[in-house]
Amino acid sequence: MSEVVIEVGKRHIREINEEIQAACAAGHKVVVRNTLSRHNLGVGLPDGANVHFEGSVGYYCGGLNDGATITVERNAGWAAGEGMSHGQITIGGYAGMSVGAAMIDGTIHVKGDCGPRVGVAMKGGNIVVEGRIGYQSGFMAHAGKIIALGGAGHSCADALWQGEVWVAGPVDSLGVDVKVVEPSAEEVAEVDAILEPLGLADSSRNWRKMISGQRLWYFESRDASAWLMI
Amino acid sequence: MCGIAGRILNSAGRVGADLVELMDAQEHRGADSTGFAVYGPPLDGEYVLRGMGFDKNRLGKDMDEFRAILHEHGSDFTEDATFTSDDHAHYCARIIIRDPIDLTRWLRDADTLGEHFEIQSCGRSLEIIKDVGSSAAVADKHGVRNMIGTHGLGHARLATESSVLPNASHPFWARPFPDVAIVHNGQITDYFTWREKLMRKGYRFLTENDSELIAVWVSDQIASGLTAAQALKKSISSIDGVFTYMIADRDGIGFAKDRFAMKPLVVVEENGEMAAATEEQAVRRIFSGECDVINYDGPSLTGIWGVGNRSLAA
Repeated sequence: MSEVVIEVGKRHIREINEEIQAACAAGHKVVVRNTLSRHNLGVGLPDGANVHFEGSVGYYCGGLNDGATITVERNAGWAAGEGMSHGQITIGGYAGMSVGAAMIDGTIHVKGDCGPRVGVAMKGGNIVVEGRIGYQSGFMAHAGKIIALGGAGHSCADALWQGEVWVAGPVDSLGVDVKVVEPSAEEVAEVDAILEPLGLADSSRNWRKMISGQRLWYFESRDASAWLMI
Repeated sequence: MCGIAGRILNSAGRVGADLVELMDAQEHRGADSTGFAVYGPPLDGEYVLRGMGFDKNRLGKDMDEFRAILHEHGSDFTEDATFTSDDHAHYCARIIIRDPIDLTRWLRDADTLGEHFEIQSCGRSLEIIKDVGSSAAVADKHGVRNMIGTHGLGHARLATESSVLPNASHPFWARPFPDVAIVHNGQITDYFTWREKLMRKGYRFLTENDSELIAVWVSDQIASGLTAAQALKKSISSIDGVFTYMIADRDGIGFAKDRFAMKPLVVVEENGEMAAATEEQAVRRIFSGECDVINYDGPSLTGIWGVGNRSLAA
Protein backbone atom coordinates (compact mmCIF):
# COMPACT_ATOMS: atom_id res chain seq x y z
CA MET A 1 0.00 0.00 0.00
CA SER A 2 1.72 3.18 -1.12
CA GLU A 3 1.25 6.45 0.70
CA VAL A 4 -0.26 9.62 -0.75
CA VAL A 5 0.27 12.99 0.99
CA ILE A 6 -2.44 15.62 0.63
CA GLU A 7 -1.91 19.22 1.71
CA VAL A 8 -4.84 21.24 3.18
CA GLY A 9 -3.75 24.84 3.90
CA LYS A 10 -6.24 27.35 2.50
CA ARG A 11 -7.53 25.12 -0.33
CA HIS A 12 -11.22 24.40 -0.86
CA ILE A 13 -12.38 21.49 1.33
CA ARG A 14 -14.38 19.88 -1.49
CA GLU A 15 -11.26 19.64 -3.64
CA ILE A 16 -9.30 18.08 -0.74
CA ASN A 17 -12.03 15.55 0.01
CA GLU A 18 -12.23 14.56 -3.67
CA GLU A 19 -8.47 13.92 -3.66
CA ILE A 20 -8.74 11.86 -0.45
CA GLN A 21 -11.59 9.81 -1.95
CA ALA A 22 -9.68 9.22 -5.20
CA ALA A 23 -6.52 8.12 -3.37
CA CYS A 24 -8.55 5.75 -1.17
CA ALA A 25 -10.34 4.30 -4.22
CA ALA A 26 -6.91 3.63 -5.79
CA GLY A 27 -5.94 1.68 -2.66
CA HIS A 28 -3.45 4.18 -1.22
CA LYS A 29 -2.89 5.03 2.41
CA VAL A 30 -3.49 8.77 2.81
CA VAL A 31 -1.68 11.26 5.02
CA VAL A 32 -3.31 14.70 5.25
CA ARG A 33 -0.99 17.56 6.23
CA ASN A 34 -1.25 21.17 7.33
CA THR A 35 -4.87 20.63 8.41
CA LEU A 36 -5.14 23.95 10.32
CA SER A 37 -8.27 22.71 12.15
CA ARG A 38 -10.34 22.98 8.96
CA HIS A 39 -13.85 21.50 8.98
CA ASN A 40 -15.45 18.51 7.18
CA LEU A 41 -12.18 16.74 6.41
CA GLY A 42 -12.51 13.08 5.36
CA VAL A 43 -16.31 12.91 5.36
CA GLY A 44 -17.97 9.80 3.87
CA LEU A 45 -14.85 7.64 3.54
CA PRO A 46 -15.39 4.12 2.13
CA ASP A 47 -14.75 0.71 3.66
CA GLY A 48 -11.09 -0.24 3.75
CA ALA A 49 -9.73 3.32 3.46
CA ASN A 50 -6.85 4.34 5.73
CA VAL A 51 -6.43 8.06 6.39
CA HIS A 52 -4.20 9.86 8.88
CA PHE A 53 -4.63 13.57 9.70
CA GLU A 54 -1.56 15.35 11.01
CA GLY A 55 -2.13 18.06 13.63
CA SER A 56 -5.68 19.00 14.64
CA VAL A 57 -8.91 18.91 12.64
CA GLY A 58 -12.06 21.05 12.86
CA TYR A 59 -15.74 20.05 12.91
CA TYR A 60 -17.25 16.81 11.53
CA CYS A 61 -13.99 15.01 10.70
CA GLY A 62 -14.68 11.42 9.61
CA GLY A 63 -18.43 12.01 9.58
CA LEU A 64 -20.55 9.40 7.76
CA ASN A 65 -17.56 7.03 7.84
CA ASP A 66 -18.51 3.82 6.03
CA GLY A 67 -15.71 1.53 7.20
CA ALA A 68 -12.47 3.50 6.99
CA THR A 69 -9.70 3.53 9.60
CA ILE A 70 -9.09 7.18 10.45
CA THR A 71 -6.51 8.62 12.84
CA VAL A 72 -6.17 12.23 14.00
CA GLU A 73 -2.80 13.14 15.49
CA ARG A 74 -4.04 15.79 17.92
CA ASN A 75 -7.45 17.33 18.61
CA ALA A 76 -10.77 17.14 16.78
CA GLY A 77 -13.45 19.85 16.81
CA TRP A 78 -17.19 19.26 17.15
CA ALA A 79 -18.92 16.02 16.14
CA ALA A 80 -16.03 13.92 14.86
CA GLY A 81 -17.47 10.73 13.35
CA GLU A 82 -21.00 12.09 13.24
CA GLY A 83 -23.41 9.54 11.74
CA MET A 84 -20.67 6.97 11.02
CA SER A 85 -21.89 3.48 10.16
CA HIS A 86 -18.67 1.41 10.23
CA GLY A 87 -14.94 1.65 10.78
CA GLN A 88 -12.68 3.12 13.42
CA ILE A 89 -11.68 6.67 14.29
CA THR A 90 -8.80 7.33 16.70
CA ILE A 91 -8.29 10.85 18.06
CA GLY A 92 -4.89 11.40 19.68
CA GLY A 93 -5.90 14.35 21.88
CA TYR A 94 -9.12 16.12 22.82
CA ALA A 95 -12.43 15.61 21.03
CA GLY A 96 -14.83 18.59 21.01
CA MET A 97 -18.56 18.64 21.61
CA SER A 98 -20.82 15.81 20.34
CA VAL A 99 -18.15 13.33 19.26
CA GLY A 100 -19.90 10.35 17.63
CA ALA A 101 -23.23 12.15 17.41
CA ALA A 102 -25.93 9.88 15.94
CA MET A 103 -23.36 7.21 14.99
CA ILE A 104 -24.81 3.88 13.94
CA ASP A 105 -21.88 1.48 14.35
CA GLY A 106 -18.10 1.30 14.48
CA THR A 107 -15.66 2.51 17.14
CA ILE A 108 -14.39 5.94 18.13
CA HIS A 109 -11.34 5.96 20.39
CA VAL A 110 -10.37 9.26 22.05
CA LYS A 111 -7.04 9.28 23.88
CA GLY A 112 -7.62 12.60 25.67
CA ASP A 113 -10.72 14.20 27.20
CA CYS A 114 -14.00 15.03 25.47
CA GLY A 115 -16.30 18.05 25.35
CA PRO A 116 -20.03 17.99 26.19
CA ARG A 117 -22.65 15.55 24.87
CA VAL A 118 -20.39 12.67 23.81
CA GLY A 119 -22.46 10.27 21.68
CA VAL A 120 -25.56 12.45 21.62
CA ALA A 121 -28.39 10.45 20.00
CA MET A 122 -26.03 7.62 19.04
CA LYS A 123 -27.78 4.56 17.65
CA GLY A 124 -25.03 1.97 17.99
CA GLY A 125 -21.29 1.33 18.09
CA ASN A 126 -18.82 2.21 20.83
CA ILE A 127 -17.09 5.37 21.97
CA VAL A 128 -14.05 4.73 24.15
CA VAL A 129 -12.54 7.71 25.95
CA GLU A 130 -9.30 7.35 27.90
CA GLY A 131 -9.81 10.71 29.61
CA ARG A 132 -12.95 12.35 30.91
CA ILE A 133 -16.26 12.80 29.11
CA GLY A 134 -17.86 16.26 29.30
CA TYR A 135 -21.17 17.69 30.44
CA GLN A 136 -24.37 15.79 29.57
CA SER A 137 -22.56 12.92 27.86
CA GLY A 138 -24.74 10.22 26.33
CA PHE A 139 -27.64 12.66 25.99
CA MET A 140 -30.55 10.71 24.44
CA ALA A 141 -28.32 7.86 23.23
CA HIS A 142 -30.59 5.27 21.60
CA ALA A 143 -28.15 2.36 21.65
CA GLY A 144 -24.42 1.58 21.81
CA LYS A 145 -21.87 2.13 24.56
CA ILE A 146 -19.91 5.12 25.80
CA ILE A 147 -16.96 3.91 27.87
CA ALA A 148 -15.00 6.55 29.82
CA LEU A 149 -11.88 5.54 31.72
CA GLY A 150 -11.12 8.93 33.30
CA GLY A 151 -14.43 10.04 34.80
CA ALA A 152 -17.35 12.20 33.67
CA GLY A 153 -18.59 15.78 34.02
CA HIS A 154 -21.96 16.99 35.24
CA SER A 155 -25.32 15.63 34.15
CA CYS A 156 -23.78 12.35 33.01
CA ALA A 157 -25.96 9.99 30.92
CA ASP A 158 -28.78 12.53 30.77
CA ALA A 159 -32.11 11.31 29.31
CA LEU A 160 -30.77 8.03 27.92
CA TRP A 161 -32.82 5.77 25.71
CA GLN A 162 -31.30 2.29 25.36
CA GLY A 163 -27.66 3.39 25.20
CA GLU A 164 -25.25 2.65 28.04
CA VAL A 165 -22.64 4.84 29.68
CA TRP A 166 -19.80 3.08 31.49
CA VAL A 167 -17.55 5.23 33.66
CA ALA A 168 -14.45 4.36 35.64
CA GLY A 169 -13.38 7.31 37.79
CA PRO A 170 -15.23 10.20 39.38
CA VAL A 171 -18.59 11.43 38.06
CA ASP A 172 -19.49 15.07 38.87
CA SER A 173 -23.25 14.42 38.82
CA LEU A 174 -25.84 12.24 37.13
CA GLY A 175 -28.31 13.50 34.55
CA VAL A 176 -32.07 13.13 34.54
CA ASP A 177 -33.59 9.64 34.78
CA VAL A 178 -30.31 7.71 35.14
CA LYS A 179 -30.06 4.36 36.87
CA VAL A 180 -26.63 3.19 38.03
CA VAL A 181 -26.58 -0.61 38.00
CA GLU A 182 -24.09 -3.28 39.00
CA PRO A 183 -22.79 -4.88 35.80
CA SER A 184 -22.69 -8.66 35.55
CA ALA A 185 -19.39 -10.47 34.93
CA GLU A 186 -20.51 -11.19 31.36
CA GLU A 187 -21.21 -7.49 30.74
CA VAL A 188 -17.77 -6.49 32.11
CA ALA A 189 -16.20 -9.14 29.88
CA GLU A 190 -18.07 -7.60 26.93
CA VAL A 191 -16.64 -4.17 27.72
CA ASP A 192 -13.16 -5.60 28.20
CA ALA A 193 -13.49 -7.24 24.78
CA ILE A 194 -14.12 -3.77 23.31
CA LEU A 195 -11.10 -2.33 25.18
CA GLU A 196 -8.76 -5.28 24.46
CA PRO A 197 -7.91 -4.46 20.82
CA LEU A 198 -7.20 -0.85 21.91
CA GLY A 199 -4.74 -2.12 24.54
CA LEU A 200 -6.91 -0.74 27.35
CA ALA A 201 -8.36 -3.82 29.03
CA ASP A 202 -7.93 -3.81 32.81
CA SER A 203 -9.97 -6.17 34.98
CA SER A 204 -9.39 -4.11 38.16
CA ARG A 205 -11.63 -1.21 37.12
CA ASN A 206 -14.48 -0.19 39.33
CA TRP A 207 -17.22 0.45 36.76
CA ARG A 208 -20.36 2.46 37.08
CA LYS A 209 -22.79 1.30 34.42
CA MET A 210 -25.53 3.82 33.69
CA ILE A 211 -28.75 3.00 31.93
CA SER A 212 -32.11 4.69 31.53
CA GLY A 213 -34.50 4.72 34.48
CA GLN A 214 -37.18 4.55 31.72
CA ARG A 215 -39.25 7.20 33.45
CA LEU A 216 -38.86 9.62 30.56
CA TRP A 217 -39.66 7.07 27.88
CA TYR A 218 -43.33 7.97 28.23
CA PHE A 219 -44.47 11.42 29.18
CA GLU A 220 -46.50 11.48 32.36
CA SER A 221 -47.68 14.85 33.56
CA ARG A 222 -46.78 13.92 37.13
CA ASP A 223 -43.14 13.66 35.95
CA ALA A 224 -43.16 17.16 34.47
CA SER A 225 -40.74 18.41 37.11
CA ALA A 226 -38.14 15.89 35.91
CA TRP A 227 -38.59 17.08 32.33
CA LEU A 228 -38.32 20.64 33.48
CA MET A 229 -35.18 19.98 35.49
CA ILE A 230 -33.63 23.10 34.02
CA MET B 1 -25.25 31.05 14.49
CA CYS B 2 -22.72 33.87 14.71
CA GLY B 3 -18.97 33.99 15.05
CA ILE B 4 -17.07 35.96 17.65
CA ALA B 5 -13.41 36.68 18.28
CA GLY B 6 -11.08 38.41 20.72
CA ARG B 7 -7.44 39.33 20.40
CA ILE B 8 -4.88 40.73 22.86
CA LEU B 9 -1.37 41.80 21.83
CA ASN B 10 1.65 42.27 24.10
CA SER B 11 1.93 45.89 23.05
CA ALA B 12 0.10 48.18 20.65
CA GLY B 13 0.21 46.74 17.13
CA ARG B 14 -1.87 45.75 14.12
CA VAL B 15 -4.75 44.34 16.11
CA GLY B 16 -7.20 45.44 13.41
CA ALA B 17 -5.51 43.19 10.82
CA ASP B 18 -5.62 40.21 13.22
CA LEU B 19 -9.32 40.74 13.97
CA VAL B 20 -10.09 40.91 10.24
CA GLU B 21 -8.31 37.54 9.77
CA LEU B 22 -10.15 35.99 12.74
CA MET B 23 -13.49 37.09 11.32
CA ASP B 24 -12.64 36.22 7.71
CA ALA B 25 -12.06 32.60 8.84
CA GLN B 26 -15.54 32.59 10.38
CA GLU B 27 -17.43 34.35 7.60
CA HIS B 28 -19.52 31.20 6.97
CA ARG B 29 -20.99 31.61 10.48
CA GLY B 30 -22.73 34.80 9.43
CA ALA B 31 -21.90 36.99 6.49
CA ASP B 32 -24.74 39.50 6.65
CA SER B 33 -22.85 41.96 8.85
CA THR B 34 -19.44 42.21 10.48
CA GLY B 35 -18.19 44.40 13.29
CA PHE B 36 -15.03 45.18 15.21
CA ALA B 37 -14.17 46.83 18.52
CA VAL B 38 -10.59 48.12 18.55
CA TYR B 39 -8.83 49.55 21.61
CA GLY B 40 -6.32 52.08 20.26
CA PRO B 41 -3.86 54.41 21.99
CA PRO B 42 -5.85 56.22 24.71
CA LEU B 43 -6.76 59.90 24.41
CA ASP B 44 -6.43 62.41 27.23
CA GLY B 45 -9.25 64.88 27.86
CA GLU B 46 -10.95 63.76 24.65
CA TYR B 47 -13.28 60.95 23.60
CA VAL B 48 -13.32 59.20 20.26
CA LEU B 49 -16.84 58.51 18.98
CA ARG B 50 -18.05 56.21 16.25
CA GLY B 51 -21.54 56.75 14.96
CA MET B 52 -23.94 56.07 12.13
CA GLY B 53 -26.39 58.30 10.28
CA PHE B 54 -29.25 56.57 8.51
CA ASP B 55 -29.57 58.97 5.58
CA LYS B 56 -26.37 60.25 4.01
CA ASN B 57 -28.26 63.13 2.37
CA ARG B 58 -28.92 64.42 5.86
CA LEU B 59 -25.28 64.37 6.98
CA GLY B 60 -24.85 68.16 7.21
CA LYS B 61 -28.06 68.64 9.20
CA ASP B 62 -27.24 65.68 11.48
CA MET B 63 -23.84 67.14 12.32
CA ASP B 64 -25.25 70.64 12.93
CA GLU B 65 -27.76 69.20 15.41
CA PHE B 66 -25.16 66.94 17.00
CA ARG B 67 -22.71 69.78 17.44
CA ALA B 68 -25.35 72.08 18.90
CA ILE B 69 -25.98 69.53 21.65
CA LEU B 70 -22.23 69.20 22.27
CA HIS B 71 -22.00 72.99 22.70
CA GLU B 72 -24.76 72.88 25.31
CA HIS B 73 -22.58 70.47 27.29
CA GLY B 74 -19.36 72.49 27.05
CA SER B 75 -17.83 70.31 24.35
CA ASP B 76 -16.99 70.44 20.66
CA PHE B 77 -15.15 68.59 17.91
CA THR B 78 -11.39 68.86 18.44
CA GLU B 79 -10.62 67.93 14.86
CA ASP B 80 -12.57 67.45 11.63
CA ALA B 81 -14.87 64.44 11.73
CA THR B 82 -14.34 61.79 9.06
CA PHE B 83 -17.20 60.12 7.18
CA THR B 84 -17.49 56.88 5.23
CA SER B 85 -20.32 55.89 2.92
CA ASP B 86 -21.05 53.79 -0.15
CA ASP B 87 -24.16 52.78 -2.15
CA HIS B 88 -26.14 52.18 1.04
CA ALA B 89 -28.30 54.94 2.50
CA HIS B 90 -26.35 55.16 5.77
CA TYR B 91 -23.01 56.79 6.54
CA CYS B 92 -20.50 56.17 9.33
CA ALA B 93 -18.72 58.87 11.29
CA ARG B 94 -15.57 59.09 13.41
CA ILE B 95 -15.55 62.11 15.70
CA ILE B 96 -13.13 63.32 18.39
CA ILE B 97 -14.69 65.52 21.06
CA ARG B 98 -13.44 67.43 24.09
CA ASP B 99 -14.78 65.98 27.36
CA PRO B 100 -18.38 67.11 27.95
CA ILE B 101 -19.10 68.51 31.44
CA ASP B 102 -21.13 65.40 32.23
CA LEU B 103 -20.82 62.51 29.80
CA THR B 104 -24.04 60.75 30.84
CA ARG B 105 -26.15 63.90 30.59
CA TRP B 106 -24.68 64.83 27.22
CA LEU B 107 -25.31 61.31 25.95
CA ARG B 108 -28.92 61.41 27.08
CA ASP B 109 -29.44 64.55 25.01
CA ALA B 110 -27.39 63.29 22.06
CA ASP B 111 -29.45 60.07 22.01
CA THR B 112 -32.57 62.15 21.25
CA LEU B 113 -31.13 62.37 17.71
CA GLY B 114 -31.12 58.55 17.56
CA GLU B 115 -33.76 58.37 14.84
CA HIS B 116 -31.32 60.02 12.41
CA PHE B 117 -27.88 59.66 13.98
CA GLU B 118 -26.77 57.10 16.51
CA ILE B 119 -23.60 57.04 18.63
CA GLN B 120 -22.25 53.49 18.51
CA SER B 121 -19.17 53.81 20.68
CA CYS B 122 -17.55 56.32 22.98
CA GLY B 123 -14.28 55.94 24.80
CA ARG B 124 -10.75 57.13 25.42
CA SER B 125 -9.63 54.13 23.42
CA LEU B 126 -12.58 52.08 22.09
CA GLU B 127 -13.77 52.41 18.51
CA ILE B 128 -16.61 50.22 17.21
CA ILE B 129 -16.78 49.76 13.46
CA LYS B 130 -19.76 47.81 12.17
CA ASP B 131 -21.54 47.53 8.89
CA VAL B 132 -23.36 45.16 6.57
CA GLY B 133 -21.15 42.80 4.56
CA SER B 134 -18.34 40.31 5.07
CA SER B 135 -15.21 40.77 7.14
CA ALA B 136 -13.15 41.69 4.08
CA ALA B 137 -15.81 44.11 2.77
CA VAL B 138 -16.20 45.93 6.09
CA ALA B 139 -12.41 45.97 6.57
CA ASP B 140 -11.86 47.47 3.09
CA LYS B 141 -14.57 50.08 3.53
CA HIS B 142 -13.44 51.25 6.97
CA GLY B 143 -9.69 50.63 6.87
CA VAL B 144 -9.86 48.22 9.81
CA ARG B 145 -6.65 46.40 8.86
CA ASN B 146 -4.63 49.55 9.54
CA MET B 147 -6.08 50.13 12.98
CA ILE B 148 -3.45 50.03 15.73
CA GLY B 149 -4.28 48.96 19.25
CA THR B 150 -3.63 46.55 22.11
CA HIS B 151 -6.78 44.44 21.94
CA GLY B 152 -10.21 44.12 20.42
CA LEU B 153 -13.27 42.08 19.54
CA GLY B 154 -14.79 40.86 16.29
CA HIS B 155 -18.22 39.62 15.27
CA ALA B 156 -19.80 38.00 12.20
CA ARG B 157 -23.58 38.15 12.29
CA LEU B 158 -26.21 35.76 11.05
CA ALA B 159 -29.37 37.63 11.97
CA THR B 160 -31.89 35.31 13.61
CA GLU B 161 -33.83 37.52 16.01
CA SER B 162 -34.03 40.86 14.19
CA SER B 163 -33.48 42.55 10.83
CA VAL B 164 -30.25 42.88 8.91
CA LEU B 165 -29.44 46.54 9.50
CA PRO B 166 -26.00 48.13 9.77
CA ASN B 167 -26.69 49.37 13.30
CA ALA B 168 -28.16 46.04 14.48
CA SER B 169 -24.81 44.31 14.05
CA HIS B 170 -22.28 43.80 16.85
CA PRO B 171 -20.26 44.84 18.82
CA PHE B 172 -22.58 46.79 21.11
CA TRP B 173 -21.34 49.55 23.34
CA ALA B 174 -22.44 49.33 27.01
CA ARG B 175 -23.66 52.94 26.98
CA PRO B 176 -23.07 55.21 28.84
CA PHE B 177 -19.86 53.57 30.14
CA PRO B 178 -16.87 54.61 28.03
CA ASP B 179 -14.71 51.85 26.54
CA VAL B 180 -17.01 48.88 27.32
CA ALA B 181 -18.14 46.69 24.39
CA ILE B 182 -19.70 43.24 23.94
CA VAL B 183 -20.05 40.63 21.20
CA HIS B 184 -22.44 37.70 21.48
CA ASN B 185 -23.00 34.33 19.82
CA GLY B 186 -26.39 32.79 20.63
CA GLN B 187 -29.97 33.80 21.40
CA ILE B 188 -31.36 35.48 24.48
CA THR B 189 -34.80 34.05 25.17
CA ASP B 190 -36.00 36.32 27.98
CA TYR B 191 -35.03 39.38 25.98
CA PHE B 192 -38.42 41.10 26.02
CA THR B 193 -38.90 40.71 29.77
CA TRP B 194 -35.43 42.07 30.52
CA ARG B 195 -35.78 44.84 27.98
CA GLU B 196 -38.97 46.08 29.63
CA LYS B 197 -37.43 45.94 33.10
CA LEU B 198 -34.37 47.88 32.01
CA MET B 199 -36.38 50.44 30.02
CA ARG B 200 -38.42 51.14 33.14
CA LYS B 201 -35.09 51.88 34.86
CA GLY B 202 -34.40 54.49 32.17
CA TYR B 203 -32.09 52.57 29.82
CA ARG B 204 -32.40 53.15 26.11
CA PHE B 205 -32.35 50.42 23.46
CA LEU B 206 -31.37 51.48 19.97
CA THR B 207 -32.11 48.28 18.09
CA GLU B 208 -34.38 45.21 18.15
CA ASN B 209 -31.34 42.96 18.52
CA ASP B 210 -31.48 40.56 21.48
CA SER B 211 -27.71 40.85 21.98
CA GLU B 212 -28.03 44.56 22.74
CA LEU B 213 -29.66 43.38 25.96
CA ILE B 214 -26.33 41.99 27.17
CA ALA B 215 -24.65 45.38 26.72
CA VAL B 216 -27.45 47.19 28.54
CA TRP B 217 -27.68 44.53 31.25
CA VAL B 218 -23.91 44.73 31.84
CA SER B 219 -24.20 48.55 32.04
CA ASP B 220 -26.86 48.18 34.70
CA GLN B 221 -24.65 45.78 36.69
CA ILE B 222 -21.64 48.11 36.47
CA ALA B 223 -23.88 50.99 37.56
CA SER B 224 -24.93 49.00 40.62
CA GLY B 225 -21.29 48.51 41.56
CA LEU B 226 -20.37 45.09 40.21
CA THR B 227 -16.98 44.45 38.62
CA ALA B 228 -16.81 42.94 35.13
CA ALA B 229 -15.86 39.57 36.65
CA GLN B 230 -18.86 39.64 38.99
CA ALA B 231 -21.21 40.70 36.20
CA LEU B 232 -19.97 37.85 33.99
CA LYS B 233 -20.69 35.28 36.70
CA LYS B 234 -24.07 36.75 37.56
CA SER B 235 -25.19 36.79 33.93
CA ILE B 236 -25.16 32.97 33.74
CA SER B 237 -28.03 32.61 36.20
CA SER B 238 -29.72 35.93 35.33
CA ILE B 239 -29.98 35.80 31.55
CA ASP B 240 -31.88 32.96 29.89
CA GLY B 241 -30.85 31.55 26.56
CA VAL B 242 -27.82 30.12 24.84
CA PHE B 243 -24.77 32.30 24.71
CA THR B 244 -21.07 32.72 24.62
CA TYR B 245 -20.40 36.42 24.86
CA MET B 246 -17.28 38.45 25.32
CA ILE B 247 -16.98 41.81 27.00
CA ALA B 248 -14.02 44.12 26.64
CA ASP B 249 -12.83 47.25 28.41
CA ARG B 250 -9.50 49.06 28.49
CA ASP B 251 -8.05 46.47 30.89
CA GLY B 252 -8.87 43.29 29.00
CA ILE B 253 -11.43 40.85 27.64
CA GLY B 254 -13.78 38.55 29.56
CA PHE B 255 -16.26 35.88 28.51
CA ALA B 256 -19.26 34.00 29.89
CA LYS B 257 -20.91 30.81 28.67
CA ASP B 258 -24.47 29.64 29.32
CA ARG B 259 -25.34 26.68 31.54
CA PHE B 260 -26.17 24.40 28.61
CA ALA B 261 -22.70 24.69 27.02
CA MET B 262 -24.23 25.30 23.61
CA LYS B 263 -21.81 27.78 22.06
CA PRO B 264 -18.10 27.13 21.73
CA LEU B 265 -15.05 29.22 22.54
CA VAL B 266 -11.53 28.28 21.54
CA VAL B 267 -8.52 30.09 22.97
CA VAL B 268 -4.78 30.14 22.39
CA GLU B 269 -2.55 31.96 24.87
CA GLU B 270 1.10 32.21 24.00
CA ASN B 271 3.83 34.51 25.31
CA GLY B 272 1.30 36.81 26.95
CA GLU B 273 -0.75 37.15 23.74
CA MET B 274 -4.24 35.76 23.32
CA ALA B 275 -6.53 34.88 20.45
CA ALA B 276 -10.07 33.62 21.08
CA ALA B 277 -12.71 32.61 18.56
CA THR B 278 -15.80 30.52 18.07
CA GLU B 279 -13.88 28.10 15.84
CA GLU B 280 -10.38 26.72 16.17
CA GLN B 281 -9.69 27.22 12.48
CA ALA B 282 -9.95 30.98 13.08
CA VAL B 283 -7.28 31.10 15.80
CA ARG B 284 -5.11 29.03 13.43
CA ARG B 285 -4.98 32.09 11.18
CA ILE B 286 -2.99 33.73 14.01
CA PHE B 287 -1.20 30.70 15.47
CA SER B 288 -0.65 28.35 12.53
CA GLY B 289 1.99 26.15 14.20
CA GLU B 290 1.31 23.51 16.80
CA CYS B 291 0.25 25.12 20.05
CA ASP B 292 -1.92 24.37 23.06
CA VAL B 293 -5.54 25.09 22.27
CA ILE B 294 -7.94 25.55 25.17
CA ASN B 295 -11.53 24.52 24.44
CA TYR B 296 -13.93 26.26 26.80
CA ASP B 297 -16.55 23.59 26.10
CA GLY B 298 -18.10 23.17 29.54
CA PRO B 299 -21.23 24.83 30.95
CA SER B 300 -21.39 28.01 33.10
CA LEU B 301 -17.83 29.17 32.47
CA THR B 302 -16.36 32.65 32.82
CA GLY B 303 -12.88 34.05 32.46
CA ILE B 304 -10.94 37.28 31.99
CA TRP B 305 -7.70 37.99 30.15
CA GLY B 306 -5.83 41.15 31.06
CA VAL B 307 -4.02 43.40 28.61
CA GLY B 308 -0.24 43.65 29.04
CA ASN B 309 -0.02 40.58 31.27
CA ARG B 310 -2.03 42.29 33.98
CA SER B 311 -3.51 39.68 36.27
CA LEU B 312 -7.29 39.96 36.41
CA ALA B 313 -8.42 36.56 37.64
CA ALA B 314 -12.17 36.12 37.29
